[in-house]
Amino acid sequence: MVEENKRYKAGILRSLWPHGFNIERYTYTLHRITGVILALYLIAHVFEIFHVALGPAAWQQTLQELGSLGIFEKIGLWIIAGSALYHGANGLRLILNEAFGMLLGKPVLPEYPYMPTSLSRSQKIAIYILTAIVVILWIWAGLYLLEGLGIV
Amino acid sequence: MKVRIRRFDGQKEWWQDYEVEAKPFTTILDILNYIRENLDHTLAYRHSCQMGSCGSCGVVINGKPALACQTRVGELKTDTLRIEPLYNYRVIRDLVVDLTDFVNKHRSVKPWMIRKNPQELEEAPSEFKVTPQQNLTFIQFDYCIMCGVCLAACPTVAIDPLFIGPQALAQAYRYIADPRDEGFEERIDVLDDSHGVWRCHFAGACSYVCPKGVDPAKAIQYLKKEILKFRLLRKRKKAVPPAEIVQKEPPPNAPKPPPFDFKFEGGVE
Repeated sequence: MVEENKRYKAGILRSLWPHGFNIERYTYTLHRITGVILALYLIAHVFEIFHVALGPAAWQQTLQELGSLGIFEKIGLWIIAGSALYHGANGLRLILNEAFGMLLGKPVLPEYPYMPTSLSRSQKIAIYILTAIVVILWIWAGLYLLEGLGIV
Repeated sequence: MKVRIRRFDGQKEWWQDYEVEAKPFTTILDILNYIRENLDHTLAYRHSCQMGSCGSCGVVINGKPALACQTRVGELKTDTLRIEPLYNYRVIRDLVVDLTDFVNKHRSVKPWMIRKNPQELEEAPSEFKVTPQQNLTFIQFDYCIMCGVCLAACPTVAIDPLFIGPQALAQAYRYIADPRDEGFEERIDVLDDSHGVWRCHFAGACSYVCPKGVDPAKAIQYLKKEILKFRLLRKRKKAVPPAEIVQKEPPPNAPKPPPFDFKFEGGVE
């Protein structure tokens, strides 16, 4: 039947697939993915902190475990650090867009070939700057974690 | 060139291939017309004006929603065309989608002029004055032809069908930004909702695919700003009152209009 047509809702994969679209759509996808990573980390973090309630011995043991992380745990921390950096920086850009109406341009009379001002040069420059800052800080975070392993 | 069309007959879906000759300036609508007239009479799709004014022929072309009449083969830079019905809509048949939800969402934001005193609209003593500068604040969003392409591109509508969507939100802002309108408080319950403006995360895909340059993403961000301003500061612009018509005397040396002398020579006996 027509009502059973599954293509009524394009679905989460279509939602996260930015190929062929504008750069803001890529930032949207990355923002969603990093948001999910941070949400999962937050749950794990609360579980970790919960060991305080089990007494000093349990807390000391947790601290010892955190002090001697292996390479895979460090890579995990590096991904979380990158997620936090990107999500925070892109979040600041979105706050400028949404709460203050900045980087959007003014309403104009549409003229062919119809270049939307909300996706204009200033928006793209902001994206490139925040990406550059995030990449630099992420590399620095990686070096800091590798130093803890004695690799750097 | 090879054309792959996503077909749906009410029961099952399938891809059907056609071989069509096309030049760089051939539009996708020309190809669809050719297929229906010469290759397959059962192909269903919508079209009307063939010049990007009616908004009937929205389809997904190689993964990107667009108007079939405004998309040319040359700009796609490919030998294979994939044509699908618009995403995020219930498909009725082949490339024809059901726009009922879309129109209901549009209607839900009350896209018409609202005055606190409705008498002013019914029995307006004079016109409502809008300066060209004021006109520029909303005229861009007035260009919407309701083709529905923006909803097909929106990644949020893809996961939340209850989201009002960029088209309706842009139309809400069109009236809210209009200095003659006083309906902000009437619309705010629909807009300031979990399925309203706050569901938009500014992917900008709606503005990217809009065939008329309406820029719905910009309108939505402006709406968020207006709602925050209203909720936090209780600040709203004051609507213009009906203007008083002042009958001006013509200058003394102004040329006089020619006398009205018109004889109707046609007619039916």
